[in-house]
Amino acid sequence: MSRLIRHEEDEMNRILSREDEILPSSGFAVSVMDAVRREAAAPPPIPFPWKRAVPGLVVAGLAAVLVLAAGVVAIGQLVRASTSAQFPTFLSLPPLMPPIFHGGMESAAGWTVLALLVTFVSVKLTMRLAFGRA
Amino acid sequence: MSATDDQADVERVLAGDIPAFEGIVRRWQGPLINLAYRFCRDRGRAEEMAQEAFLRAYRGLGQWRRDAVFSTWLFALATNLYRSELRRIPARTVSLDDIAEPADARASDGGFEDQDRDLVVRRAVGALPAKYREALILFYFHDMDVTTAAQSLGLPEGTVKARLFRGRELLRGKLPQLLAVPRLKEA
Repeated sequence: MSRLIRHEEDEMNRILSREDEILPSSGFAVSVMDAVRREAAAPPPIPFPWKRAVPGLVVAGLAAVLVLAAGVVAIGQLVRASTSAQFPTFLSLPPLMPPIFHGGMESAAGWTVLALLVTFVSVKLTMRLAFGRA
Repeated sequence: MSATDDQADVERVLAGDIPAFEGIVRRWQGPLINLAYRFCRDRGRAEEMAQEAFLRAYRGLGQWRRDAVFSTWLFALATNLYRSELRRIPARTVSLDDIAEPADARASDGGFEDQDRDLVVRRAVGALPAKYREALILFYFHDMDVTTAAQSLGLPEGTVKARLFRGRELLRGKLPQLLAVPRLKEA
């Protein structure tokens, strides 16, 4: 049995070791060197502007954390209110909503103006970063 | 092929002498194309993959640590690339279950055609699961040197040995008649 396995292994070694070699085509090295020269001549990639991006990323991260925390607190309050209240949960929703919904029209208008202002500044800043070098 | 030639060319390229890279290309084009060919069994694609390997080697020359021979680094880089390429666009193979041994392994003259047998065995290797196929390809490409095959694959030697064993088992199970028949022509 072991002689048979040995023989099979020898056969496998013999067959798989005896691969025909293929020769590179005549223009292969030239073609590689052309590609290498193109690569060398290409301008280096523009590095990501971390210095400029970091403040924005930090602010965005903080905002995300705040929104998440506010959401968790709101859900917690909602659960507590729904378990203690005798009447349907939707009646207890208004006090749990973010402050923007508590004030009157003036307050909502103020928040809307602020949001528009932030959007405008973001767009201007992005345009300046993108086309400022030209 | 001299390791000192490689090192000298690498130093020159890193110093800005780009044409010095041609020495590396001319020394290693044959082995890199042949290795690629064993992975994909397509001559045109093998050259494309080898060209990409040389380009990556050029880009990454600075990452070659001198504690390893240049060829070891180059083969590891090329092997990594070829494996990714084959995962992206697999070579055309048939399933291991669809590989049939010749109905009668012996031809009418008492022996059987070596070429047919070799072809069936190579097809069976191509149909193996990737991890066994890659171990077998690298092992035979590096003249049955497990250490070098393991370096090229970036795996421990023990893992490569285990994969070789399992790969051979699968082949033996699939092609028992073909491998067991003594070669009458040699007798």
